[in-house]
Amino acid sequence: MLFQKRTERIFIWVFFPLALMMPLFLEQNTFYVSKLTTIMIFAIFVMSLDYLVGRCGLITLGHAMFYGLGGYIFVMIAPEYDAVNFWIYTFYICAISALIALVIGFLVLRTSGIYMIMITLAFAQMTFYFFSDSIEFGGNDGVFIYVKPDTSLFGISMFDLDNPIHFYYLCLLSLFNTLFFFRLVTRSRFGRVIDAIHENPGRTTALGYNVFVFRLMAYVMASALGAYAGYLFTMQYGFVNPSMLSWQTSGSALVMSILGGLGTLYGAILGTVVYEGLHYVLEHMTEHWLLFMGALIILMVILFKNGIAGYLEKLLEKRS
Amino acid sequence: MTTSLFFVQLINGLQYGLLLFLIASGLTLVFGVMGILNLAHGSMYMIGAYLAWYFVENTGSFTLSAIISAAIALGIGIVVEKTLIQRLYKRNHLDQVLLTIGMIFVFNALQSILWGDDPLGVQVPDALSGAVPLTEVVEYPVYRIFVAFLCVAIAVLMYYMINRTRLGMLIRAGESNREMVECLGIDISRLYTVVFAIGVMLAAVAGVAAAPMSSIVPGMGEHVLIACFVVVVIGGMGSIKGAFVGALLVGLVDTFASVLVPQLSSMMIYILMAFILLLKPQGLFSS
Repeated sequence: MLFQKRTERIFIWVFFPLALMMPLFLEQNTFYVSKLTTIMIFAIFVMSLDYLVGRCGLITLGHAMFYGLGGYIFVMIAPEYDAVNFWIYTFYICAISALIALVIGFLVLRTSGIYMIMITLAFAQMTFYFFSDSIEFGGNDGVFIYVKPDTSLFGISMFDLDNPIHFYYLCLLSLFNTLFFFRLVTRSRFGRVIDAIHENPGRTTALGYNVFVFRLMAYVMASALGAYAGYLFTMQYGFVNPSMLSWQTSGSALVMSILGGLGTLYGAILGTVVYEGLHYVLEHMTEHWLLFMGALIILMVILFKNGIAGYLEKLLEKRS
Repeated sequence: MTTSLFFVQLINGLQYGLLLFLIASGLTLVFGVMGILNLAHGSMYMIGAYLAWYFVENTGSFTLSAIISAAIALGIGIVVEKTLIQRLYKRNHLDQVLLTIGMIFVFNALQSILWGDDPLGVQVPDALSGAVPLTEVVEYPVYRIFVAFLCVAIAVLMYYMINRTRLGMLIRAGESNREMVECLGIDISRLYTVVFAIGVMLAAVAGVAAAPMSSIVPGMGEHVLIACFVVVVIGGMGSIKGAFVGALLVGLVDTFASVLVPQLSSMMIYILMAFILLLKPQGLFSS
């Protein structure tokens, strides 16, 4: 079975049907629909980070770089006033960011631990300043996208990106596919080697695997998916700006993946939903929501170590 | 570039570098001795600057304000270490990153609650308000020179403390072998509290010193934190000497880049860092 854990199966059976029906309840209220869409887009990003940090043990504080690049690459390669094909550009953006990740990963993965945290941050900051200082890319204001791509596949238009409900379903589909994809990966031979490397790099090397190459492949894959999430975000709001690349974006994604339960993948969805939900509620209750958010994060680190998914698994898994 | 402009930029770079050293030294000290990566270090710099403003407004004296601010920072350091940081020694870097991100949120919120979000400014104290002529046309503010010398003095003091005093001996011993120090009957958790509080105080003092030179704004802590990361990574995590060299390098590169290659200036220090890490993945002076 692809989804081995009972908790994960329950989660999938609860979350996805609910998410599928959600627009029926919210039909009058596009604000909430687009809010949920943003959360799902970010969950894709968090999941790609979760794979890197939780499954590969590669802690990065610069993942937002690819989130932002997803948008900026689109701006760079797409013609300004012509609608391009969404799927072809998805491929372009993933391929280009994978190439970038290949180069950066090659440099970054030479270091480890605390040094890796910092050098990933350095690369992300470099990109951040590159775009926020450039006149060509609108500096701090970013770039507007006037024409959204059309999503026809073999001549059949599938989604209208300007319609919030359509876009919602596109993102939901993407989110499910991402989870499905990562599950396939973790269950594959490649995924098992990655788990082995996480457990004990030295021994895996001794078994004849090239640890560096496997890590690099995982890094490239996660980065390309992170860029895809950024591309979706750009499509949703029709603009891209440097704050997508900021270290705060990386930081909050890291917080969400840990909150959800590191390395569990579906926990990334839980973490993002809970974090964004809390953010939304607190923001409406008080101007100083940061105070409570910070306090919650601190409490969470001290009190539960395995995140929400870890807690649920403790409740739901059969003791063996 | 004319000679006098070059000279001014050189002093600017050194002065900025020395200030960075003051902040980064606390970060690297805490990391070197305790193995804690404190992302909230920059927040203490910010809190230092806000405290300086607050006490200058209320007491009218910059010196008094500096002393009170440093004392408060020391207190914050002790409380934070005792209540939060102490739980993290056996955890991994990821938990430390997360907890200290939480602390950044809290400090930012406190700053906004206590002092609001408008930019504030502190007057340069009267005794240091003049400027020294460098050439006939170029002069340099006394206060900046004073800050540079203050940083050098603190660097020398730290060097002395670490290499010549009993506390320094314990710090060095704790760095190389924690268990052995404990076995010899030293209360290591008290040592850690002291080291952390000193680290926090150094950041806050830097904030106080910087207050009259720059405007006090929300988010100033994060900006400085990232620069400090670069310094510490270039120098080698945990090495005070490395932080000194790294800080001067970053200060000079940043200052000269903004004159020579303005379009790349904000990126330059990160390029420097990536370059150095490629040559020496552990930094220049890794222990």
